Amino acid sequence: MPALSQSTLLFDRLLKIVGPEGVLSAVSDLVVYECDGYTIEKHRPDAVVFPTTTDQVVEIVKLCGECGVPFLPRGAGTSLAGGCLPVGGGVMISLTRMKRILEVNCRDRYAVIEPGVVNLWLTNHLKPQGFHFAPDPSSQGACTIGGNVATNSGGPHTLKYGVTVNHVLGLEIVLPDGRVVRTGGPAEDYPGFDLTGVIVGSEGTFGVVTKIWVRITRNPEAYRTLLGVFETVDDATNTISDIIGAGIIPGALEMLDNLILQAVEAAFHFGFPLDAGAVLIMEVDGLEAGLDADAECIIEIAKENRAREVRRASTEAERLLLWKSRKQAFGAVGRLAPSYCTQDGVVPRTKLPHILRVIQEIGRRYDLRIANVFHAGDGNIHPIVLFDERDAAQVKRVLAASHEILDDCIACGGSVTGEHGIGVEKIDFMPKLFSPDDLAMMIRLRSAFNPEGRCSPAKMLPTAGACIEQSKAGRRAAL
Amino acid sequence: MELWPGDRSMGSTLEIDGFGPLPLVRPGSAAELGEIVRAAASNGSALYPLGGGTKLDLGNPPTRQGNVVDMRALNQVIDFPARDMTVTVQAGMAVASLQEILAHEKLRLPIDVASLRSLTLPARREGAQQSTVGGVLATNESGPRRLGFGTLRDYVIGISVMNDEGREFKAGGRVVKNVAGYDLCKLLVGSLGTLGIITQVTFKLRPLADQHALAAIPCAAESLEELVNRIHGSRTRPVALEALNPSAASVALGQVSLPLPTGHWMVIAGYEGNHTAVEWQVRELAKELGAVTPEVRIGDTAEPLWQALIEFNAWPETKVTFKANLLPSATAAFCAAVDRLAPNTLTKAHAGSGIVVGHLTGDWTRDRTAAFLAVWRELAGKAQGRVIVTRCPWEWKNVINVWGPIGGDAWLMREVKEKFDPHGIFNPGRFYHGI
Repeated sequence: MPALSQSTLLFDRLLKIVGPEGVLSAVSDLVVYECDGYTIEKHRPDAVVFPTTTDQVVEIVKLCGECGVPFLPRGAGTSLAGGCLPVGGGVMISLTRMKRILEVNCRDRYAVIEPGVVNLWLTNHLKPQGFHFAPDPSSQGACTIGGNVATNSGGPHTLKYGVTVNHVLGLEIVLPDGRVVRTGGPAEDYPGFDLTGVIVGSEGTFGVVTKIWVRITRNPEAYRTLLGVFETVDDATNTISDIIGAGIIPGALEMLDNLILQAVEAAFHFGFPLDAGAVLIMEVDGLEAGLDADAECIIEIAKENRAREVRRASTEAERLLLWKSRKQAFGAVGRLAPSYCTQDGVVPRTKLPHILRVIQEIGRRYDLRIANVFHAGDGNIHPIVLFDERDAAQVKRVLAASHEILDDCIACGGSVTGEHGIGVEKIDFMPKLFSPDDLAMMIRLRSAFNPEGRCSPAKMLPTAGACIEQSKAGRRAAL
Repeated sequence: MELWPGDRSMGSTLEIDGFGPLPLVRPGSAAELGEIVRAAASNGSALYPLGGGTKLDLGNPPTRQGNVVDMRALNQVIDFPARDMTVTVQAGMAVASLQEILAHEKLRLPIDVASLRSLTLPARREGAQQSTVGGVLATNESGPRRLGFGTLRDYVIGISVMNDEGREFKAGGRVVKNVAGYDLCKLLVGSLGTLGIITQVTFKLRPLADQHALAAIPCAAESLEELVNRIHGSRTRPVALEALNPSAASVALGQVSLPLPTGHWMVIAGYEGNHTAVEWQVRELAKELGAVTPEVRIGDTAEPLWQALIEFNAWPETKVTFKANLLPSATAAFCAAVDRLAPNTLTKAHAGSGIVVGHLTGDWTRDRTAAFLAVWRELAGKAQGRVIVTRCPWEWKNVINVWGPIGGDAWLMREVKEKFDPHGIFNPGRFYHGI
């Protein structure tokens, strides 16, 4: 952190760049920015700035360079992994005022936007033309596309449509030395390295993205949304594998286990059976023609796997209620316990029955209730550990249980994060997933963009001697 | 001194772009490859990775003496959990062999790869003619289905690479959704072997389609743009949208007995999905087009036509080939301009993706090619795209800039190269911006 006189100088100069409306430096204002959706660790930035143009970002970044202070970009702060945590203080560059949709070109199927555009705004903006932005994280009403780019966000529809990187064509990025680089663009296959592809998911450690060329996707003509009710998680999982094995790629395949069903039913009264082992939301989308054939095939497969019943959402209202139940399941968990903590592991799809048994066993061993609602088609689990954060001993058990679950994901050949990112939360898992040689190459890559490490320090990659002390406590989260 | 622990029984050499002869080494394992890299690093020589040898014309001539590393002995399946719909294979495996293995489980990697025989490499061994997994990754090969299925960057979920110190590193993993660490897979795809030698890769897979069809519509040059726009905006969702100029259509479609009125362009829409969806789309397209009735090939009868469309990009009987990437809406106008200036060019576009491939036929000289290229580059630039020369006589390459003028991000690419390969071991000089 800069010395006081220096920081006064810094604030004055930030004021000159963005004006008094564009800087926060009072402690009472900064408290809001000391964490994101990951609330275990808190670090207060020295200032938060709200640039409205790329030029302002350049000036801010250059100023930070002159003063030798770290900086980091921030979108809506919905990160669940501490991606926006200003470790070591410094200047937080909030991109929320760079929120213009600069161009929409439906013929060439792209849009150019600023990073502060909220995910759902773009999709709403495209609705009249029959297009949408495909990545749809459950936080899409709040999260920004700049943030989606940083974490390579997913969502329920990634099984068929892919994650953020599959929908980003080009970027404008301000590097830590203030140079502005444009990578890619509205066309495909530009010669040279795919820098765009590697900047997506770099969690703000390469620079500040100030403009994004995204691919836009035609809306499906129709949907068939089915709810399969199963006695056991195994039957539900086998159904998933068989559907995909039959050559059908559903738009979404989401699983809810018994515990989460209780909460969701209490909140939304959808009519979920409270005694089911698991339910699957299975949705196929696309052209109207052929959808019924796919739906029939899915129903048959579910029945072969001993589904107690398969219901169809017969109206659009029913379909929307079903999706609301799914997307707001985390909110409903509040009915079960005062606090909860969610994880973001990934396993090969066929290992789902195994990992769910492991989760149950871990829950029993630590005397914790764990609910499951997740993107089953991708093998991306989100176990929700219920607890009471006022009980310190319980909090310790929650963290130990969460880590055991993630360790088992690694043992299954999976990953510790499917869509939330490493941030600061999972930095300790990186050496478990990657060898020193792997990490060394990642450090080499980062040094091409961010050689001095002043942009988003202490994120993603563990650095020798810069180990972060993680205060272990509970947290709330929504995915 | 025993420098190369690999199989040296070939005892052969290879010239790349007139540079060489470069001795071939053939590692039998990743460990042997590691030794080869360390040896090259210690004696300051270069390594030129080789797969099926079908793309050796791509890029600038080599700049330094060294060895060609034939990767084809590393050709094993490491893991194929079919129900997880992923596969992990070594980089030297032929793509055709991979597809065959996947097809047994009704799966595929939905990337179209031309399987033409190597133009440069003598076919001295069984399988020498085949594009390899590592080769198509390095060159980012794609074909007609890219409109519906994307390109290799969308399917590589894990990668292992031999680095400049002869140590293998990996990125990604074996699960389809994973954001742990930087996605080096993206960086390696299309990097032309300049950042390291790909040893192993994990793909996510897609099911084979139940049904597929191609609908071909001949059209006059002046109505090409309108026809392409109509199909683009159709209720149907083609997974491929190809446009062939009259020369390309008569040459490439010669064997598939498609009726082609003289002097006409051919526009071909491809559909995949379940039977109902494919059949509906073919009918719907005909309905939307009204007066023109598409010539439809469905199921097995479409296969030769798909193949012709895929193989076209590697058309052997041409001296010069270029590839343009443009805004899709500019494709028709660009193709028409190429036709006007160089009427004998065989031109085919992935019209839905803005990719145009042209083979120059006839008596082209270096200077004439350079002059035309300058015009096309200007045209492409107006459509936010570029033109690269994917094949030409190597003697021309001191005058013809095959990668074209560099963009504003080229310096950053060089920076990345410097970090990954500071001593310039891997394919030095061959890529964009002399990387």
